[in-house]
Amino acid sequence: MFMAPKPIEGEKRVFMTGNEVVAWAATAAGAEIMYGYPITPQNEIMHYWTRMAPKYGRKFLQTEDEISAGFTTVGGVLAGKRAFTATAGPGNTLMQEPMSMAEMMRLPTVLVVTQRGGPSTATVIYSQQELTMTCFGGNGEGMRIVYSTSGHQDLYDYTIKAFNTAWKYRFPTFVLGDGYQSKMREPVTIYDPEARNISMVPAEAYMGNPGTPGVDRDPVHLRNTYNMEEELLKVINDNMATYESIAPEIVEYQEEEVEDAEVLLISHGIVSRAAQGAMKLLREEGFKVGYFRPITVRPFPAEQLRERAEKAKCLLVIESAYGQLKRIVTDSLYGCTTTIKSYMKPGESVTVEEVVEKVRSLY
Amino acid sequence: MSEAPVILEAYIGEYASGKSEVAINRALRLCEQGREVTLVDLDTVEPFYTLRPLKKQLENKGLKVIAWETKETVGLGETGSVLKPEMRWALKRPGDVILDVGYGVEGAKTLNLLEGVFKRFPLKVYVVINTARPFTSEVSDIVEYIKTLGKVDGLVNNSHLGAETDLDLVQEGARIVSKAAKILGLPVVATTAEIQIAERIGTKDCMGHPVWVIRRYMEHSFW
Repeated sequence: MFMAPKPIEGEKRVFMTGNEVVAWAATAAGAEIMYGYPITPQNEIMHYWTRMAPKYGRKFLQTEDEISAGFTTVGGVLAGKRAFTATAGPGNTLMQEPMSMAEMMRLPTVLVVTQRGGPSTATVIYSQQELTMTCFGGNGEGMRIVYSTSGHQDLYDYTIKAFNTAWKYRFPTFVLGDGYQSKMREPVTIYDPEARNISMVPAEAYMGNPGTPGVDRDPVHLRNTYNMEEELLKVINDNMATYESIAPEIVEYQEEEVEDAEVLLISHGIVSRAAQGAMKLLREEGFKVGYFRPITVRPFPAEQLRERAEKAKCLLVIESAYGQLKRIVTDSLYGCTTTIKSYMKPGESVTVEEVVEKVRSLY
Repeated sequence: MSEAPVILEAYIGEYASGKSEVAINRALRLCEQGREVTLVDLDTVEPFYTLRPLKKQLENKGLKVIAWETKETVGLGETGSVLKPEMRWALKRPGDVILDVGYGVEGAKTLNLLEGVFKRFPLKVYVVINTARPFTSEVSDIVEYIKTLGKVDGLVNNSHLGAETDLDLVQEGARIVSKAAKILGLPVVATTAEIQIAERIGTKDCMGHPVWVIRRYMEHSFW
């Protein structure tokens, strides 16, 4: 197993930007190599990784574009490296092909997405418009695990967790952040995973293992191409059955004041901070408002949400996108008769005050 | 020399160390003393959290601010930022000039683009240090980092954890920054703190350096 000097002993309260947090978390998680291509607002993940890499015996490869960064990450994983990459917006679009390959071959790639405005180049700043693409992009079936973070502590915790989830379950795993979280500065506790009894799932080589294939061990036959429809059908069905069977162990969500909620606020990522703030203010005013936040947006906590949604009178889906979260919610709640309203601001932030006003207008 | 002495200062340092916050507060303090002050956004490295969004607000407080307005720019964050023509000549302006420089070595190099550096009155270059940032939390790291930056005239202890800052953290920062300064043979120009903490420290920090009271403007300047 890879042994590197530890970047952090115990734990430490520090002040930094979200991108730095990701670089520190990946280093603390024992990531061995980052493959990357620059794009705003992701750049400092690479900058800080490359500043730390020589000190802690890690590696970095800057590729010619995001297609290559994605495929080299796939290659690193095949070679048994705890490898990752990071990108945003149009870079995420380009990475869908390599991530589809990872999905087909069930490779534990880790991709950190710092969402920016879309479609296309749009803005470098912020949005939640990469939700659909990160969960379901490429020509696959969305056999991916996607953690949507809401701030620096999440970025640290879930970047570490992403490596373990990926290597344990062998599905491509994503940390879905955004430009606000990337650039924002706030205090965060960084820690050595071991100090919190988190042991890292070992990375193992897929290729180049000792022995003679077919004699000492089974041959490795990793495929992303099939000649026969029947072959493909069987592989997809088997993989999907595995994905669905592990989903309940992976699903994570956060909720508050849902028991008697008339209006249930549903949001993910950084927008959930506005929703949570609004919920608290509205509760003080006597409005029965609850808060539900999927942390895994894929697999989605559909059953848990349904249970809460059926008791509410109205659901308000809040997002910095034009209905990408709402589509997942609607699909998850098919048959539930509770009204679904939405507050959609693609590419722009949502404030506590706006949510409060919107909820008041529902009464 | 009949010209009255003016203050020319540049604030440089590590990413998110508080360069802009210190520069703004320094400029406003000089302005409150009745001095003519120009504050210049020389951050060509990072388009987020710069003076740009605060330009109007700071001008209303009596500062002259040389900074782009976001709507005047194209491709910001994609293609890098360019100097506004008047930035190049900022040091030739009458009165005090405070420069807010982009982070790291590339930021510090921006000073080479200005006319009149090291000529009229000496331009003082101060490095802003926050010891709650892991890359500048230890004496040896600070020393190593500052050596990469070129001409430096002093250090500012800007150690903080945002809203979680406490007195001990600021004073510990003063001790660490002092040790680094001593090794480098540089002065510590000031320790900064928000008013609640500054009042508890007094006019000098535990190492005898002046305390500059900081009000936080930058949290509203994302883009």
